[in-house]
Amino acid sequence: MDDLIARISHCIEFGKIDRASPYPPDMKGEDGADELTREALDAGIAPDRLLNEAFVPGMERVGRKFSERRIFVPQMLMSAKAMDAAMRHLKPYFQSGAVRRKGTFVIGTVAGDLHDIGKNLVAMMVEGSGWEVVDLGVDVAPSRFVEAVRAHPECRAVGLSAMLTTTMTGMAAVVEALRAEVPGCRVLVGGAPVNEEFRAMIGADFTSRDPQGAVAYLESIAA
Amino acid sequence: MTKKQKLDHVLRHGPLPGETLFLPILMHFAARHGGVSYAEFCADHHARVAANLACLERFDLDCVTLMSDPYAETSAFGARIEYLPEAVPRCRDVLVRDASDIDALPMPDVFRSERCLDRLRGAERFQRELRGTVPVIGWVEGPLAEACDLADMTGMFTLLMMDPDASHRLLDHVLEFGKAFAAAQIEAGCDIIGIGDAACSQVDEETYRTFVRDRHVELIEHIHSRGGIVKFHVCGNTTHLLPSFAGLGFDLIDLDWPVGIEDARAALGPDVLVTGNIDPVEVLERPADGVYDACRALVDGHRAERYALAGGCEIGVNTPPDNLLAMLRAARSHAA
Repeated sequence: MDDLIARISHCIEFGKIDRASPYPPDMKGEDGADELTREALDAGIAPDRLLNEAFVPGMERVGRKFSERRIFVPQMLMSAKAMDAAMRHLKPYFQSGAVRRKGTFVIGTVAGDLHDIGKNLVAMMVEGSGWEVVDLGVDVAPSRFVEAVRAHPECRAVGLSAMLTTTMTGMAAVVEALRAEVPGCRVLVGGAPVNEEFRAMIGADFTSRDPQGAVAYLESIAA
Repeated sequence: MTKKQKLDHVLRHGPLPGETLFLPILMHFAARHGGVSYAEFCADHHARVAANLACLERFDLDCVTLMSDPYAETSAFGARIEYLPEAVPRCRDVLVRDASDIDALPMPDVFRSERCLDRLRGAERFQRELRGTVPVIGWVEGPLAEACDLADMTGMFTLLMMDPDASHRLLDHVLEFGKAFAAAQIEAGCDIIGIGDAACSQVDEETYRTFVRDRHVELIEHIHSRGGIVKFHVCGNTTHLLPSFAGLGFDLIDLDWPVGIEDARAALGPDVLVTGNIDPVEVLERPADGVYDACRALVDGHRAERYALAGGCEIGVNTPPDNLLAMLRAARSHAA
């Protein structure tokens, strides 16, 4: 059973989605995260064990390698797809309450900005670390962030993404709206032009240059 | 010396005595400064040329440019582009959703595409206005950037990993159009062709070498064969790609702020004109004196090299004009 867990974790780390996937080339024709997760559940491995011993460590290694610039966006996207394939098998257990998430994280790219890669990377890293992620997409108005937090009372944090100096200023309005309407909610900001000085200026709680930083911060507030 | 002669001098012989070239990327800022909307700036060469000329006069730039949003080529391939008054235009269509869409892609005619033709008209107009005294920069999307515009970035990066053959077909297709568009811009009067391939900073070196590097070489050689100078622009942290950039053959390279100029120089050698690389967010947020000091440090550190002062990427639209003037003062600070 430990071997199965290790193989699932390996598939997530290296982006092996399923048997049909030709990526990575050295695993062509082998079972991927999809088949192995099904097999593990059928063999009686508890879903929370799969989450905590296969998915989370796999994604941690992905995040660490990305932070260290040993892998880049295409490899992370493949890991995300592998994790999605595995996570689909766990959905029923989340819905039934058999497996519990660490909390809910709402994320979106702020109004006027259509860039989604950075947001997607953070979303998948956070989901892979055991959180439920509500992804609002791109070009999201401040009111929609507030509505999403209200619709998910268990939401503990919101992530705002912006890629342009013109659109990052829109983060201030979202922070202001969230502070007024849902004061206990933490706000994380990120994107190419966002720095610590800007974070402090708009009163957000946290910023990081990479997704792993966001995961670590959320871990600290979940504890 | 005219500004064009100055650039030629730097490229051929090395630094100018007493002066550093000033080559910031101005698009939305130029539109605002020129009193036109960003939609007009992107879609209409009259507005783009007028805005650039206004910036040339006020900020004593060492070039003018036809660079705007990335969708001229995407529009030529058939995507619908929505122009917004004060935001980057939006591409409404993903033309390549899977490998089968690649074979159905048209090979557009540069001279029948409204956006491409507009850029050619802009080059002609610049030459009428400036009579060859100021370098005119045209622009093409690099092959990976254009492929990402057609397939969206997530789709293209997935294609790179899952279907290398289809990726090569798409990259070949966009490269052919890029070469035709670059040649037409040189013919219309552009002295320099910028190649913008921002997506490259997001891929690892092996992926870059497998899918993109040879195509960059081909595009650069093509531009040179038509008499153009090549400016290579990849936003973001490209430190890991610098060894692969060596030998590509470009004449100028824009370095974004996370990249060390010393690292680039070590990898690329002394003959390349390096432009950069103050963080545009600093230029936006710092007081003018702070911008001057930071730029002065860059100029002092690199004035003995083939170097031009610029932001790491585009200067933000809300940047105070005084901050751009502070950059200019720093570039001219060692004038005799």
